[in-house]
Amino acid sequence: MRRTALGLAAVAALGWPLVAPKYLVFLGTLVAVNAIVAIGLNLLSGYTNQLSFGHAGFLAIGAYVAALLTLHVPALPVPLTLLVAGLATALVGLALGIPCLRLEGLYLAMATLAFGFVVTEAITNLDWLTRGNDGLRVPLARLGPWALATDAARYYLAVAVAAAMILAALNVAATRTGRAFLAIRTSEIAAQASGINAAAYKTIAFVLSAFYTGVAGGLFAFVVGFLSPDAFDVFLSVDFLVMIILGGLGSVLGSVAGAAIVTVLNDSLAGFQAFRPLIFGAIMIICMLFMPGGLAAMARRKS
Amino acid sequence: MSGSALAHVIVSGLATGCIYGLVALSLVIVYNATRTVNFAQGEMLMVSAFVAWSAQHTAGLPLLAALACGVAAGGLLALLVERVIIRRALSATHWDVLIITLGLSLVLRAAAGVVWTNEELPFPALFSNRPIALGPVRVAPVSLGVIGASLVLMLALVALFRATRFGRAMRAVAQNQTAARLMGISVERVYAGAWVLAAVVGAVAGVLIAPVTFLSTKMGLIAINGFTAAVLGGFGSMPGAVVGGMLLGVIENLAPLYLPTGIRYSVPFLVMIAILLARPRGLFGRVERRKV
Repeated sequence: MRRTALGLAAVAALGWPLVAPKYLVFLGTLVAVNAIVAIGLNLLSGYTNQLSFGHAGFLAIGAYVAALLTLHVPALPVPLTLLVAGLATALVGLALGIPCLRLEGLYLAMATLAFGFVVTEAITNLDWLTRGNDGLRVPLARLGPWALATDAARYYLAVAVAAAMILAALNVAATRTGRAFLAIRTSEIAAQASGINAAAYKTIAFVLSAFYTGVAGGLFAFVVGFLSPDAFDVFLSVDFLVMIILGGLGSVLGSVAGAAIVTVLNDSLAGFQAFRPLIFGAIMIICMLFMPGGLAAMARRKS
Repeated sequence: MSGSALAHVIVSGLATGCIYGLVALSLVIVYNATRTVNFAQGEMLMVSAFVAWSAQHTAGLPLLAALACGVAAGGLLALLVERVIIRRALSATHWDVLIITLGLSLVLRAAAGVVWTNEELPFPALFSNRPIALGPVRVAPVSLGVIGASLVLMLALVALFRATRFGRAMRAVAQNQTAARLMGISVERVYAGAWVLAAVVGAVAGVLIAPVTFLSTKMGLIAINGFTAAVLGGFGSMPGAVVGGMLLGVIENLAPLYLPTGIRYSVPFLVMIAILLARPRGLFGRVERRKV
């Protein structure tokens, strides 16, 4: 049953660009990118209970690193670019995560909120590097001799990366590290008493989360083709939170489902900008009141 | 820069700081009673200001009555929110309530945009903006008015917390919920009361700042400054919230004089990061013991 579902999902994902119109292929690419961010955020907020309002900042760092790298070193193949973007963002995650060990809950949320704001301010003000508010045009991603010029090509790139990262996250979740994360979420003190090095695991979660988001940022840069700091505001961070709350805190596949729903919803509400936050806010409230654990918990209860 | 000009900058910084202090107080009042923070505090204050605007423009009430209407509407909205949404989540973790209020802030902001407007509106001022000479120093009456009104409200809060039964009940719940319940205090009523009181304090801050910043759906963002002020003073401490607010107001007004002007809007964030990294419990905060 599970295997058939997985096979069907794989066939659908691979066949999508062959049957869907161009715009929907682009939307599918965005879903893949957002799914990676949602998993990254879930590893931090869902698994270790460290609420982050600053993931748009991580996404921005990944995106700008990838874009600038491609501008200055055009020969670099795209997997390496994405890897560098992820690692650079992970380094920032480490630098932010260690001082943030002293903070929890609310304070952490505010510190990450401030982090996100400082990142966009920095991008705006470092205009000799990032072109600030004028925006940065991202060159095409290159894989050896090929340039990924079509929507379908970029779609396959994003889906391949997303698939690899979903598998990796499922593996992390199933191992000692994942169990340690969940133990910290349930009770940090009890986890420590059971011999879990909470500080180390919380830092790992921060770094891992930043890495995921950085890679997604790199993909985002190539998919959108144009970067400017105002795209990475705090409301984007809130969108990511909506994804994991809807999908289910502490669930990898739930993150993917949440990312897909929020991305498609976001797109179909493009004509009703005024109502968008109304609906997203309502989703947050309703999920918290009536379906804690999100879609993942619902699916678990069904089966 | 001359001494009197500096004094002018500091006084107007203190005025903004009083507003931040009031917003910080409203956050702290809810926090002390329920141990959660209301992320929608800024948006609730924004709704109060819009109601006051409507009461004057559409219903044609005199300004003071309109402002009172706005403040009362804020209290009512808080009561409604507490009863309908927050109380259901009382058994939930603080995390959940945090997310719920975050969702609420999105909903309120969007709803205000739909009901009223997403444009900026001028808001009628109680106090004039034109500077007057006060001895050698020139200050704007609006600064003095804001400082005066805030101080009156703060003193009223002190009296409420020290001298009334309800205030003592709130302090008791803040100290130890179980013990307070055993003493016959209705903790639920204190929760609701804290939400209403916080909304009223926030609403006063809202109608005081709206003439300066203009009325808009974005004015809820002032809660970030309020939060920074509360953290600066040590979250949970009421005198800390006021002092933190004033400090932040003055820093924010002085910073552009000595640093690049673009920095003004980053000031609350930079102050917040600095204080969280160096002294997460703020200037007056105590370390709380945690239990499993």
